[in-house]
Amino acid sequence: MRKNSSIPPIRVLTGNEALVLGALRARVKVATGYPGTPSSGALASLLKMDLGDDRHVEWSVNEKVAFEIAAGAAWAGQRALCTMKMSGLSVAADAVYSIAYSGVNGGLVIYVADDSGVSAGMCEQDSRLYAAMFDLPMLEPASVAEAYKLTQIAFDLSEQTGSPVFVRLVTSIANAHAPVEIEEPLSPEKREVILERDITKYTKAGSAICMDQHRDLIARLEQAGQVIHEMGLNELQLAPSAGGLGIVASGIAAAYLEEGFEILERNQVFSKQSGKNLVSTLRVVSTHPFPAAEVRALLNHCDTVLVLEELEPHLEKSIYVEAHKIGFEGRIIGKLDGTFSRSGEYGVEQIVRGVSEALGVKETWFFEKNQVSDVAEQLTAARPITVCAGCPHRGTYMAVNQALKKLKFKKDEVMVTGDIGCTILGMNPPFHTVWNEVSMGTSVSLAQGYVHAGIETPVIATIGDSTFFHGGIPGLINAIQHQVPLTLIILDNGWTSMTGMQTNPGTDEAFQPPGSHRVDIAKLIPALGVDQFFIIDPFDLEDSAATIQKCLALSGVKVVLARQECAIQAQRRGLAAGKTKVIPQECTLCKQCVVVTGCPAISLAEDTIVIDHAQCYGCGLCAQVCKFDAIEWEAAK
Amino acid sequence: MKYDIYLVGVGGQGVLTIGDLITEAAARQRIPVSFYPTKGMAQRGGAVKARLRLGREFAGPNIPERGADLVIAMERSEALKAVRFIKPGGDFVLFGHVWAPPAVMLGKEDYPTLEQVREQVQEAGGKMHYLAPKDLPLYEGGPVAANVYVLGAALGHTPLKEILDQSEAANLVQARWAKGAERNELAFQAGLGPMFEGEREF
Repeated sequence: MRKNSSIPPIRVLTGNEALVLGALRARVKVATGYPGTPSSGALASLLKMDLGDDRHVEWSVNEKVAFEIAAGAAWAGQRALCTMKMSGLSVAADAVYSIAYSGVNGGLVIYVADDSGVSAGMCEQDSRLYAAMFDLPMLEPASVAEAYKLTQIAFDLSEQTGSPVFVRLVTSIANAHAPVEIEEPLSPEKREVILERDITKYTKAGSAICMDQHRDLIARLEQAGQVIHEMGLNELQLAPSAGGLGIVASGIAAAYLEEGFEILERNQVFSKQSGKNLVSTLRVVSTHPFPAAEVRALLNHCDTVLVLEELEPHLEKSIYVEAHKIGFEGRIIGKLDGTFSRSGEYGVEQIVRGVSEALGVKETWFFEKNQVSDVAEQLTAARPITVCAGCPHRGTYMAVNQALKKLKFKKDEVMVTGDIGCTILGMNPPFHTVWNEVSMGTSVSLAQGYVHAGIETPVIATIGDSTFFHGGIPGLINAIQHQVPLTLIILDNGWTSMTGMQTNPGTDEAFQPPGSHRVDIAKLIPALGVDQFFIIDPFDLEDSAATIQKCLALSGVKVVLARQECAIQAQRRGLAAGKTKVIPQECTLCKQCVVVTGCPAISLAEDTIVIDHAQCYGCGLCAQVCKFDAIEWEAAK
Repeated sequence: MKYDIYLVGVGGQGVLTIGDLITEAAARQRIPVSFYPTKGMAQRGGAVKARLRLGREFAGPNIPERGADLVIAMERSEALKAVRFIKPGGDFVLFGHVWAPPAVMLGKEDYPTLEQVREQVQEAGGKMHYLAPKDLPLYEGGPVAANVYVLGAALGHTPLKEILDQSEAANLVQARWAKGAERNELAFQAGLGPMFEGEREF
């Protein structure tokens, strides 16, 4: 989607874009979220549109806050959308559970994106299980176009039942692009704000209230199931004759059915007369509540049932229960019989394998013919991800490494906890600085655990600015209260970078939406009662290393704020930190610059290193590690 | 016509832009299209892959192994990751740029030779089309954008030419970069153009 486009003439959309355009069509008034791959593109695209004054869109400080804002708007009667990646749902879960009990007035849609196959590096969480736990309806589009359509249905369903509704995408829909027929967005309805004081609905004050709410919640889910059934959202197609194969496919797995059938026909696994005509299908769109009626109809019609769903055997387990209830004696093929794995994406292969298995055809016809050797991949050069040229985090990792070296510590003697975001790249070569990565803000608390465990060497925690705001602050407050000796380094580049440069509370006001107020970490830390607080410029290696070295010898809580803007963002505005120049006759090709900085702008030529000035931001770190004065550096004017 | 394309390369080479332009061109011709890019975490230098599926009304975004009619690889080592996706008889377009990771630069790790890549592609049954970086045309003394050149080559010398309108694609290239219009026109036409001598093998 092009920047500054007012609302679309665009037809090729990502799943993320289609989803928010569906929300705009459904007259959404408030949209919130926290960036996280693969969901970030949703809110990001909304923020690029000219939406007028009657909607509110924001990146919130974390998913819990984002959800609570959306829920507040929905309690007040407006339509609201909240977006997050799967990990974020765990952050918001406490509030989601409680709001699920109370129900909502305006439509509330939670968009959660799962990453089966792990394209971004996090757990293969199946958020459908959350929907089951919360007793909230969840709709699962199988394509970009369906993301547009089902988001609108989700809002209607939410208002019809008074329940928050999930829309779940996986990465291969959220980030896939496809042409979509889009209708004009509609303005939010002019609704009177609901100011309702009803403690039986809006509090959890007492057992009677909670248990009533629980019963209401169960009733709402049942009603949602009824509405979904009447809409025919889950497409059941029974084969003309009974006794054949029934396929249950949900979400993205359903998208591969047709292609799988083509292959099966081409290879005569499906013969013209006996094949496809004997196959019944149930495309499950509402992952939750379980479409019991449709499944029962399928079980009554078929001998064998093949269940195609990524990750957990969520539908499959309920199918077993349903089968037991009606005395189904056929076979159920899925994960629970060992045919499929609970890990990884589904594609054409699973359709072919499952149907072959069901029809008793040895699937080797397909897989042997299509055997792919691993040799090619084994020859590939490893490409560990590292920080960009000019990234200020590079200077911080180098400074930590240098400080530890000066204090005569070996690399494996000092715990440096890591956190989510670009800052975790310090785990990779050439730095090998950071040891671990858990969840947003964990670095600060995990470090305290190491201290209490009796570790005698200094403990360092590292965290980025957005992650600090999101989940790091409570951990720091805890460390201050209990006076835990540790050094926290906040790598503040002013942006939520890894997810694609979103703003956060610390971002310069010039880049925030109008009317925003910047929360300055440099003012926040002393206000919390940290008196050992130091600000460093990570491009100044000597001073940064000396400051960190000093901190490691002090007792109590030390906080170091390493501050330089993300070079990608600064470069986009035509800025540079300085200018480098290689003096080839001085270069001995000792490669120290490559070894220590790992900067992607540096490469080797015949008898000198070369700096790619298209990439170089002029941070000057390479010049600071060159022992032969072969790199000249000049600060930007 | 159903036609699947698998793209690989390194962040910063404009691999995804190739996919984007083909997608846009297909959409304008009302050809069903799905384009599914995966960026690495790094802005530059990370592995990038994308799957492009043309002509399927209802299809999942992933291409099965040995399913791609065309592979477009922009980097020699990354090309190897696409080998498992080439369909026997399919076209494998390799722009042989070498983007060596630091460990390779420091001599600590091996980097595949062109011969190794060629061998793997042939073993998988792919038809190798090699574009040497040194053949990249010059414009005002500097090499043109490799991705536009490779896009042209793919459009001019594979069955993609039966599917997509080349002049429409040329217009899209023009519209994409208002600034380098002339430079990109040269790159695109050079890719599209007839075979010429040198290492360019079609």
